[in-house]
Amino acid sequence: MSLPDLLALLPILILVFGGTVILMAGAWYREPLPLIAGGIVTALLGAVAAGLVQPPVVEIAGLFSAGAYARFFTILWSLLAAAGLMAAARYIIENSIGAGEYVSLVLYAAAGMALLSSATHLLALFLALETFTLAFYILIACNRRCTLAAEAGIKYLLMSAVSTGFLAFGIALIYASSGTLSLPEAVIKLSAATGELHAWGLLGWGMVLIAVGFKISLVPFHLWTPDVYQGTPAPVGGLLATGSKGAVVAVLVGMLAVSGPVWHGLTDLLWLLAALTMLVGAFSALGQKNLKRLLAYSSVTHMGTLLVGLLCQTSAGLTATTFYLVIYVITSLGAFVIIASLADERGEPMEFDQWRGLGYLHPVRCGVLALLLLSLAGLPATAGFMAKFVIFEAALQSGYLGLVLIGVLSSVISFAFYLRVTMLLFEPDESVCRWHTGTASEHAVIAVCTSAVLLLGLFPGILFDLIGRILP
Amino acid sequence: MTAASALPQFPWLTLLILLPLGGALLCLLHHRRAEECRWLALATTAATLGITIYLFVCYGQGDSGWLLYEDAAWIPRYGIRFTLGLDGISLLLVLLTAFLQMIAVLMSWSEKQHVPMFFSLLLVLEATLMGIFLALDLMLFFLFWEVMLLPMFFLISIWGHERRHYAAIKFFLYTLAGSMVMLVALIVLYLIHGEQTGTYTFALAELMQTDLSSQQEMLLFLGFLLAFAIKIPLVPFHTWLPDAHTEAPVAGTIDLTGLLLKTGIYGLIRFAFPLFPEATRSFLPVLGIVALTGIFHAAWAAYRQDDIKRLFAYSSISHVGLVVLGLAAWQLTAWEGSILLMLAHGISTGALFVLIALIRQRTGTRNLAELGGLWSQAPQMAFLFLFFSLASLGLPGLANFAGEILVLLGTFQTHPVWAAIAVIGVVFTAAYMLRLVQGVVWGPVKGRPTLPDLTPREWLILLPMAVLVLWLGLYPEPFLRPLHGAVVNIMAGGLP
Repeated sequence: MSLPDLLALLPILILVFGGTVILMAGAWYREPLPLIAGGIVTALLGAVAAGLVQPPVVEIAGLFSAGAYARFFTILWSLLAAAGLMAAARYIIENSIGAGEYVSLVLYAAAGMALLSSATHLLALFLALETFTLAFYILIACNRRCTLAAEAGIKYLLMSAVSTGFLAFGIALIYASSGTLSLPEAVIKLSAATGELHAWGLLGWGMVLIAVGFKISLVPFHLWTPDVYQGTPAPVGGLLATGSKGAVVAVLVGMLAVSGPVWHGLTDLLWLLAALTMLVGAFSALGQKNLKRLLAYSSVTHMGTLLVGLLCQTSAGLTATTFYLVIYVITSLGAFVIIASLADERGEPMEFDQWRGLGYLHPVRCGVLALLLLSLAGLPATAGFMAKFVIFEAALQSGYLGLVLIGVLSSVISFAFYLRVTMLLFEPDESVCRWHTGTASEHAVIAVCTSAVLLLGLFPGILFDLIGRILP
Repeated sequence: MTAASALPQFPWLTLLILLPLGGALLCLLHHRRAEECRWLALATTAATLGITIYLFVCYGQGDSGWLLYEDAAWIPRYGIRFTLGLDGISLLLVLLTAFLQMIAVLMSWSEKQHVPMFFSLLLVLEATLMGIFLALDLMLFFLFWEVMLLPMFFLISIWGHERRHYAAIKFFLYTLAGSMVMLVALIVLYLIHGEQTGTYTFALAELMQTDLSSQQEMLLFLGFLLAFAIKIPLVPFHTWLPDAHTEAPVAGTIDLTGLLLKTGIYGLIRFAFPLFPEATRSFLPVLGIVALTGIFHAAWAAYRQDDIKRLFAYSSISHVGLVVLGLAAWQLTAWEGSILLMLAHGISTGALFVLIALIRQRTGTRNLAELGGLWSQAPQMAFLFLFFSLASLGLPGLANFAGEILVLLGTFQTHPVWAAIAVIGVVFTAAYMLRLVQGVVWGPVKGRPTLPDLTPREWLILLPMAVLVLWLGLYPEPFLRPLHGAVVNIMAGGLP
């Protein structure tokens, strides 16, 4: 690694070294607040470095891109880590979790996600993916007194282990068939390969797809999602639902943007996956009685919609996918932070019975939650609608009318379950009891997410222009 | 467009949308003081009504072209613009919206539950309705069209009656399903237009120029029609209305019948017909027959209801059937009659809902079997009930008659058979209305011998409505004048 390479890696280095320093400091110094504040500052520094320091090289050691697109996601995930830490402060203190460990793990996860989003090499992809998955195993189960969290941690570990197996095998097959591990090249060579090699290559990509399917919970690889979401504490859940999935989608978008249309052999399979994911996710969510499980199934549906955008492979499709992804991350994060901000010594409000009528005791946060849920459903004038609109537009442009109609059906069903929750929130109920009032830092994160959802809903042009400029 | 667009002008139309929105926001900010919210909502609706009356007086006499037109860039990447335009048709509907919304606020004066939220939802509803009647960019229209569902959904689900949750969800999903299909059709049209001309835009005037094969045109037309048919509602798609209607609080019911149903008809007139003229032409006979079926089916259903609110839900479906019949006849007089009938129906039915709510407040029931003898219990109320019922059944000299007779006259010129059948439908209307009046106003007194009669506030609500009903019935000319040019233009396949 040369000096320019290191300079290009600066944001990641800040996150990793900052995390390590905080981890070490935490071993001696047990006061949580300064450690958490240090973590937030580190994450913000990472974001600033990614935004301001001009990378001297375009690609780092042939493994990671340092282009504008990679930088954008580095900033996004760093900010996500900062938000995640702000939302987690009270959780860490009240459950006496080691602040040093928690903070450093979040920073490592952010570094892993940023690396994954900028990976241009299959090995880099593998390493980055494992980096943040490893951090998440621990984060999910870090509250040792909570059995549900331990269960969720184990489930996530087992599922990830299986998907890692698929990923590694898939990469090996791709290498065997194409002779390269560089991402865009391997994809392009797949279409050039003939005969048996082509078949092996396709199998390899299929296996990578399965691994991706596990990570972003496409149907039928989604079964872990509701259980893990339910057991995961909301501050971690907010990161798991957004960053861990978003980073995987981001690397796919980055790859497609460079390689051009490549799905040929896999189009039908992807079509089926997207359709199944949208429908099964939406139908399963209908029966839920637990908000976190509902959010889990809703995320499944959203990943299906994202896949529609990925399937298009046109520049419109990729722009739409990136836009959708950013909006999904912001909205989902907001919803999880609201759950976290309500949590008190009884735990987090999860069951629908606990939410009934809560809108009258906590009007602002419940109102915002309703807004975020409606944005997830795709109500016009919120960012969620613009996101859905651009995906549908791109898909229709590429001729996927059937898929769009399925998407429309799944949207209508989604409205049914999101509306049920919003109705529940404002249903007069005598037996409802107060939850925590939330801290200033939690409110700040919620406020930022909400303003972004509203602002981007009314003026999406800002983000479109940005994405149009950064997409390679 | 016209000279109006060239001059820098005060953005009245934008104000019509922003004013209620601002009022809604203020209501939410003042959520600790319920009393202030009431006055705030009243002031906002009064100001909006004032503006619309001002527009009616100043611009209402122009005979063609956009009376007002506002246009601004919004999302350039996708060619979405913030375009609002006012012609004779939208002018009348905007006027109706502002008027009924003020009635709705006055009618909800005694609302106790979560007052600030209630009024802010009413105001948001008003803003979205204004948006629907003014938007000329299809995406902008769609946005208002969808957002409108939300305040209505909450009004039903929080302040509604016993089966409110079921009714609210049914209302939302039913209408949403239709509009999502419209969204797909809309995007397809946008893409086809973009490929043909190279400019991607949602502007109505541009999209009307799109070259479509007749099959494409029919499919897209059906996509739009589904959304509007559900909202109107035309008969096979009407089942959401009686539920939503019955369960909604009184302000919600007034808005639902008086205004929401009109958005569907307006959508047909403004978007579906001009965008797909060929498909429209070949589909009109079907539309006419569907409308006729609706008139009879709904009248028959209304006759069998015991809950008077439900009865009026069906009666509204029957009335809008007549409105759509007038449109399907594709004849100038019939169209003018249809639009006038929309106005008349909005006011007379709105007034009847006000009275039903007052009766229920006093007797605790809406069941026809438990009502009777209102004339001796509360004569003033009974008189107005009779007055508006007669207006609603089309008594000459009152509002609905003027619209109905124009529809029938116009229809007779192009489709005499339809008109003949529709006349029988009007007789059906008389049947269930008289059964209703007989049951409520006359008959043996059930319940208490006297009921408290109308209070000054209630007179304040009903008197303007009565005056308007008479005005529309006796001298509809001022309302027809702005219509003429707009209707002629739209029927000729153009924009005002």
